Amino acid sequence: MAEKSQVSANYSTWPVILALSIVSAPLVLMYAYLFLDTITDTAVGSLIPDSFTLRHWRFLWETLPGKPNIWLVTLNTLIFTTSVTAVIVLVSSMAGYVLSRLNVPARGFFLAGVMVLHAFPSVTLIIAIFIVLQMIGLYNSLIGVILVKAAIDLPLGIWLMKGFYDTVPWEIEMAGVVDGASRFRVWRSLVLPQVRPGIMALGLFSFLSGWSEFILPQVLAPGGKVQVLSVYLSSLIADDNNFDFGTFKAVGVFYIVPVLIVYALFHKYLMNIYGGGSKG
Amino acid sequence: MKSSRMLGLIMIAPAAIMILLFFLMPVVLTGVFSMTNMTTATGISGGAYQIAPHSLNDLKSTMPDIAEQMSQPRYTIDETGLKAVEGLGLDAGIATELRAKHMGEVFKTRREAERMIKGLDQGPSTTQVKQISEQFNRSVVNSRFSSRQELFTALDTLGFKLTDAQKDSIAEATYTGWNWTTENFSRIVSSPDMARVLFNTLLYVALVLVLFNTTYAMLLAIWTHYMPAAPATIFRSIWLLPRITPVVIYVLMWKWLAWDTGFISVLMGKFGYPPKNYLLDNAYNAWLFVILINGFIGASMGMLVFSSALKAIPKSQFFASEVDGASRWQQIRYIILPQMRWPILFVTCYQTLSLLASFNEILLSTRGGPGKATEVWSLAAYHTALNNYAGNLEYGLGAAMALVLVVIGIVLSLFYLRIFNYGTLVSRPLIED
Repeated sequence: MAEKSQVSANYSTWPVILALSIVSAPLVLMYAYLFLDTITDTAVGSLIPDSFTLRHWRFLWETLPGKPNIWLVTLNTLIFTTSVTAVIVLVSSMAGYVLSRLNVPARGFFLAGVMVLHAFPSVTLIIAIFIVLQMIGLYNSLIGVILVKAAIDLPLGIWLMKGFYDTVPWEIEMAGVVDGASRFRVWRSLVLPQVRPGIMALGLFSFLSGWSEFILPQVLAPGGKVQVLSVYLSSLIADDNNFDFGTFKAVGVFYIVPVLIVYALFHKYLMNIYGGGSKG
Repeated sequence: MKSSRMLGLIMIAPAAIMILLFFLMPVVLTGVFSMTNMTTATGISGGAYQIAPHSLNDLKSTMPDIAEQMSQPRYTIDETGLKAVEGLGLDAGIATELRAKHMGEVFKTRREAERMIKGLDQGPSTTQVKQISEQFNRSVVNSRFSSRQELFTALDTLGFKLTDAQKDSIAEATYTGWNWTTENFSRIVSSPDMARVLFNTLLYVALVLVLFNTTYAMLLAIWTHYMPAAPATIFRSIWLLPRITPVVIYVLMWKWLAWDTGFISVLMGKFGYPPKNYLLDNAYNAWLFVILINGFIGASMGMLVFSSALKAIPKSQFFASEVDGASRWQQIRYIILPQMRWPILFVTCYQTLSLLASFNEILLSTRGGPGKATEVWSLAAYHTALNNYAGNLEYGLGAAMALVLVVIGIVLSLFYLRIFNYGTLVSRPLIED
């Protein structure tokens, strides 16, 4: 990009920067006030905060009336997110390898199925899934919603891992097979280390996707004991009696900070997936 | 090599099972449920047969006499009644005689039953007759049977002689569970509400797609393309935020912006406008916000795709065109846009489906309001089947509405597979047989 701007020296860049600044202003403003409002108080009718306070953060040390404890909710969110991530990474790294390298019956059919499901808007299935979970007794349990979330993100994961396996040189496996290792051993010890960036990207993506998921836990596991942060925050906002943006935003910041940290540290891994047309 | 095939099957089994259970089965079941009239009232597992007053009312129109008879008590000499008579502490001969002579007899009225009791050899007194007859009072009203078989056995012992057609209509009127029906689809087709929702959906998808997912995203990509690296990175990061922010927080920020104590109200207050909730005060504003909220997320995704596609255009094309004196507009028109055809098609395809199906943002911001102004199809299905104020959730109707989206989803995804050249994507990679 640097040499580009040099050549374009006869075009001035400031009108573009100005235009973009104007259209970006609402976003910047919203995010700035998201953080600012959690630690300040603002007089009615004013936009400028006038005093520092920590009372919006009191949900961390006292349970809000009628709501579950925030640490229980956070624990649920962590269990939900890590389980979903573990299942997706494990299952997709196996299935992706099979689809990339091994000859199984109906391989083409399975590949086409994965692609169709990847494009398919899975949230339309939520009514049927809700009824099924009620019938088999997994409604309002973390297990049920973990399995559903993992299954829904699985086609993306399988497709992604297949792509990574496709780039691994065939010679590596050949060498292993010639040396007498079993195919499983070859996969486990030789191929898997080669696709570590893929596993990393998929793991991070699944983590963020699980952490942000709202509608599945809202519908399938809304109960206080199994609530996750997104459901907790939305139930807080839906409660008309205690409308307090300071507290909402503090919970919001508490909830978004892990996302921002993960993103800031690993955005190179993630760019692949976000750019590559996952559903949004 | 047989072992590699075996290994392949073992390694793919977990994925296959999960996709089968939580993906393919729900697709089929959406179809199955859409053919039922399941609601909260009928429950989701099977129901029972209950002769409730309202089911008798239903029956009155088709078979008035039988409905009338069923609503009256009958008198049956049965074991339970005899036990109760024995428990009354009367002359033991009465129960014995009843058991011997009249077991299984049915009397249509109290009078008939009492006449029989009076005629017994033991000759009970008038008060005793009343006491005794009361023990045999059998009414089917409000009784509950767990199967059709039980229902008709009970009716049979009470002496109702019914034809098969009558049995069918009684079973139908008294069944509390769900039934098979195609009514959901005729309701969808004929309801004016649904037409409105359909219109909303098309408007929503078209506006967000055209204004933000493609046009505005392309603008962002091109603007940042023509910028020095540092500001370009900053702006791309800013516009990535809507995509990575969890949806609940993202919508919360918009709510704050539009709330009657929020940013816009305070700002407008400085110019003398009274504070109001800009998100919900009228349908136009609600639409504006719904489009903006979803549009910014769509712009994020489009910007990523278009930016990486822009990077792939050889720099020499830009250099050459500048040497030839092309203006920036000409570069965009003749170099960039023609090479963006596939990315634009890709974004359009993906976003059409995801806009059609996802209702997170609208649910969290306007809930489809004010009134039903911003209710779209997927949200209407959610409201019908999973969450509404009335409390009677119509799973069957909701499933039928979801089925419409499922079918559209399957058709479009198959169609996309064709345009994005499925053949090259699944060309045989390195496989060892």
